[in-house]
Amino acid sequence: MPVPILKQGALLIATLQDALTDKDWLDFQFELTKLVGVHRSTGVILDLTVLDVLDSFATKSLRTIAEMVKLRGARAIVVGIHPDVAFTMVQLGLTLHGIETGLDLEDGISLMKHPTEFRSH
Amino acid sequence: MVFKDTMHIGNLEQFEGTDVTPGEISKRKDFLQFRDADIERLLEIRQFSQEHVESIVEEFYHHLLSFPDTKEFFRDPRVLARVKKAQIDYFNQLTAGNYSDDYVRGRLKIGRVHQNIGLSFDTYLGAYRRYLESFFLRLFDAYRSEPEKAVNSFLSMLKLVFLDISLAMDSYLRTIRLQTEAIRELATPVLQVRQGLLISPIIGLIDTQRARQLTESILRSIREQRAKVVVIDITGVPLVDSKVANHLVQTVEAARLMGAMVILTGISPEIAQTLVVLGVNLSTVRTVGDLQGGLEEAERYLGYRLVKDDKATPFQS
Amino acid sequence: MQEIRIPICSDTDIVAARKLGREMGTKLGFSSSELTLIATAISEIARNMVTYAHDGVISFAAVGTTNKRGLLIVAEDKGPGIADLSLALQDGYSTSKSLGLGLPGAKRLMDEFEIDSKPGVGTVIKMIKWNRRQ
Repeated sequence: MPVPILKQGALLIATLQDALTDKDWLDFQFELTKLVGVHRSTGVILDLTVLDVLDSFATKSLRTIAEMVKLRGARAIVVGIHPDVAFTMVQLGLTLHGIETGLDLEDGISLMKHPTEFRSH
Repeated sequence: MVFKDTMHIGNLEQFEGTDVTPGEISKRKDFLQFRDADIERLLEIRQFSQEHVESIVEEFYHHLLSFPDTKEFFRDPRVLARVKKAQIDYFNQLTAGNYSDDYVRGRLKIGRVHQNIGLSFDTYLGAYRRYLESFFLRLFDAYRSEPEKAVNSFLSMLKLVFLDISLAMDSYLRTIRLQTEAIRELATPVLQVRQGLLISPIIGLIDTQRARQLTESILRSIREQRAKVVVIDITGVPLVDSKVANHLVQTVEAARLMGAMVILTGISPEIAQTLVVLGVNLSTVRTVGDLQGGLEEAERYLGYRLVKDDKATPFQS
Repeated sequence: MQEIRIPICSDTDIVAARKLGREMGTKLGFSSSELTLIATAISEIARNMVTYAHDGVISFAAVGTTNKRGLLIVAEDKGPGIADLSLALQDGYSTSKSLGLGLPGAKRLMDEFEIDSKPGVGTVIKMIKWNRRQ
């Protein structure tokens, strides 16, 4: 099941679906970085609101995607990580250091407009 | 190893409104040695039991009404008539031969009713003993010629009564568990100060359980209230060990994953020393001396500016 | 509810195993954050299976002693096995391209964790999460 990627002005918004297989992640990674170039996007928001599990593979994929987006010259913000998922990731020792995070899509969009002085560590 | 000691326990669907599962009940019956022979013996005395149930219930309520604490429950004669009838049903079920899920469900429900009206567990126990005495005396009288049969029937009855008591206890234990959880919840408030800004003042010792609770409620509040900053103030915490400190660090990290920032305030000199000596890595945690400083920093981050209106205040600066 | 088994051959099975674990955990009365811990641990071991053994089975069962209940998860495969267990349980160790948090991660998320592996024979992982709310 492919991940829908929407273009919103200079932004790309990707809403990750529940239960992505490993292949879905890889396809998505390729598609997104391609679209950043096609649309000359300045920012990408990765919305994880509906994900109920983010294991080490998914976290690694997410990091890779964010790094690739950055190399393509755009900003990447991850939004909507569920409290339970965030707690589990921390227990696992998974972090997203170097990647900006936001509460939800709305917060992500406003972060894109106003880069804050306190960036991620 | 723990894996050798654990037993598979069948059905996990809990009985409604309880923590008890059918698997648990069958294990309990096993341990009580409640077997098919017991069911047969109880069925054999069914008729006897039905013949005497009314007089037993009369004695039972005579007992309950002769103590002020229990008398209180039956001030209304209509209530008394109703509960007497229910009591007859209850005692009849003991010899009805059906002790499966429906029986268990009924007994658990009665435990909940006792809870709701505030009947204490020792009252329940005392009353049940009173019933057994009345029952026992009549049983031995009726089976004078076959004392062995009387003894065996009574022992079977006792197994069932102990099952009843364990089921009643489940209701009480569940209430205690829920109350403990509620108290814990109260002990870790997470409050909104301004849009996007939460504070969580913690007072008293934090153990692992409470730290976990705190983490959960902070993360949940971030989601629910769309908070960008949470100020955790530990001025009122006398002691922080490495375990709790790690929990705090985890909370900060998890909040960050959700897109929120945590500011930790009120670290006392003693706690600061402990953390340094223990080598706890708080480098990822933003710390500010006191709650006021923390709030100011949070407001700055959120773009709020506080302006003092000299005319409006009676205080002189 | 008796023991439930699910074969793990491809990455779609990982998702199915996670869902099943969640369902079982719900019946056992775990909190939502614990359910997420369980689902993530399942995800890690199932992925390990798909990556290295390509074929295996995960089974779920309710376990307990008189006063506590838990979910037992057993993952069995007839894959190549793990030569150095202590190395595989170290954070950051991986022979593939993952973060190397699979096994140690699952171990950290669960309350009990036991692994038995023989090179050329296969691997058995047993893990339990206890329900704290009892």
